Amino acid sequence: MTDKRMTLKEAVSKYVFDGCSVNIASICAREPLAVAHEIIRQGRKNMTYITDTTTDPIELLVAAGCFSRIEAAYIWIGVVGQGYNVRRAVEQGVPNHIEMIPYSNYSAGLRMMAGAMGLPFFPTKSLLGSDILKYNPDIKVIDDPYGTGPVALVPAATPDVTFIHVQRADMAGNCQIFGMLGNDDYAAKCSKNVVITCEEIVPTSEIRKIPNMTVIPEYAVSAVVEVPFGCHPLSVTGYYWMDNPFRQEFIKASKSREGVLQWLDEWVYKIDNHEQYLEKVGRERLAKLREMEQDNCMIPEIIARTREGIL
Amino acid sequence: MKYAEKYSASEMMAAVCAKQIRNDDVAFVGVGIPLMAGAVAAATHAPDVILAYEGGGVGSKTRRMPWTISDSPTTDNALVAGSMNGIFSDLQRGFVTVGIIGGAECDKFGNLNTTAIFGRDGDYHHPKVRLPGSGGANDIASSAPRTVIVMRLQKGKFAEKIDFNTSPGHLSGYDSRKKAGLLGGGPVAVVTDRGLFKFDEVTKEMYLAAIYPGQTVEQIKELIDWDLKVSPQLTELEPPTEEQIKIMNELDPLGTVLGSKSMKGAVEPFDDYYQALKKSYSVTKLVL
Repeated sequence: MTDKRMTLKEAVSKYVFDGCSVNIASICAREPLAVAHEIIRQGRKNMTYITDTTTDPIELLVAAGCFSRIEAAYIWIGVVGQGYNVRRAVEQGVPNHIEMIPYSNYSAGLRMMAGAMGLPFFPTKSLLGSDILKYNPDIKVIDDPYGTGPVALVPAATPDVTFIHVQRADMAGNCQIFGMLGNDDYAAKCSKNVVITCEEIVPTSEIRKIPNMTVIPEYAVSAVVEVPFGCHPLSVTGYYWMDNPFRQEFIKASKSREGVLQWLDEWVYKIDNHEQYLEKVGRERLAKLREMEQDNCMIPEIIARTREGIL
Repeated sequence: MKYAEKYSASEMMAAVCAKQIRNDDVAFVGVGIPLMAGAVAAATHAPDVILAYEGGGVGSKTRRMPWTISDSPTTDNALVAGSMNGIFSDLQRGFVTVGIIGGAECDKFGNLNTTAIFGRDGDYHHPKVRLPGSGGANDIASSAPRTVIVMRLQKGKFAEKIDFNTSPGHLSGYDSRKKAGLLGGGPVAVVTDRGLFKFDEVTKEMYLAAIYPGQTVEQIKELIDWDLKVSPQLTELEPPTEEQIKIMNELDPLGTVLGSKSMKGAVEPFDDYYQALKKSYSVTKLVL
């Protein structure tokens, strides 16, 4: 078994390069902000983001000027507020203009599925009649040769690197995900390289106890990094709940360009690594977020029982 | 059953929207008011409804309000913790029976824009206002047998022509959806903060079907850019019940969903947040 463990700094430096295409997978929950911070610190530019839906990480990355093209269905910060940084880039070209290639969540997922299946495209009955077709020349509409009328074809997604945050993985990259999966099974398998960040690295024997929970197998994975609380202020099922006050602070700062630059300085550039970030957030606060999640989630109980040998 | 004496426009919208959900529905609910409507329906007249979320969660029974279509409450105590492609495939296959979505602009055929407002001198690439994009709304609007639209009635938002058709309604009316190859039935209702709209069976044009207490047809017509048709059987809807309001308050103690806090840019102290949510877990039964 190959030990693929490395630091986040090493993984980002090895797999992310100027002009490459990137996906930071999952949706809102399990989106690793720690990865966004490290990409920003390493100063990568002119990249393409290929995903379905993305929230807080893309706001930071766009504010830092890392991306020039986004192929996605939804780019916003969700119910807590507006995506001010993406708005500023698209509307005013600050800090740089971004080409926006529209998809829907299903068609974006089908792109990953096509890539994961080694196919060039996938058909869908979504998108028909909409302006997504008009503004995305990569989507083709054909007449179904089997007679059901128009059908839209979306091209396979094959990003250079995909980051996926999971609850637990072994050192070779067998990954178990709790809660919703998003499109992470296909997101992993369509990508040229996959960096797994996880809450915990566990022995392979733990993975083998519940193999049904393994979503990503080691052969699809390039690197494994243990990054506890790697998605703060977003949530990770079974591990911690969302830190909405923190997100509200970020949104408030993002209302002006000066505000978000100060935020980046304070929370990204002046911090060397994720450990320092967690110290700055505060251990007591993180413990409370963990408690709020574990009060409600039954999965850790099941895991605890497997460890005691009951299951 | 007692009607609530005091309620907000958002609470009324959630209550009216909840009534669009049937007990035998598999309902795709988006964030915000649609989600609250799903919760209220599940806790009152539709206990057997199966709520499905875009992230892949199906049939959760949680005491926490989901704030996104993919956070932990969407799989707390759930039937399925599946994938996004899986649930959207179920939708395209026909297993999901109703979808509830929002919009920023809506035309008379229920076509929705959530992508960009171009503005006078702008275009798609350089819009006046960039919006989130489709998310799963296009897929829901394309394939759900029934779509319910939830949108506030504001001047300029119900437009003769929208800048970007993100999620197809009845396209240009009549049988244009079918001709385009869409599988779903299109929008059946538009729930606003002043009245409930439906669509003509033949022309597929939106008309005013019912108004809320205290509203007038004239006020509503003024907020709509085209010459709005009004049902000859126009009714006035009942206000939300006390029970419905209680459920909403329990699930949303911070007003995250219904209080429009985000719009005001408020930041709540972390300890208040922690205490309020802890308290809500202790009083809320597993209701969703």
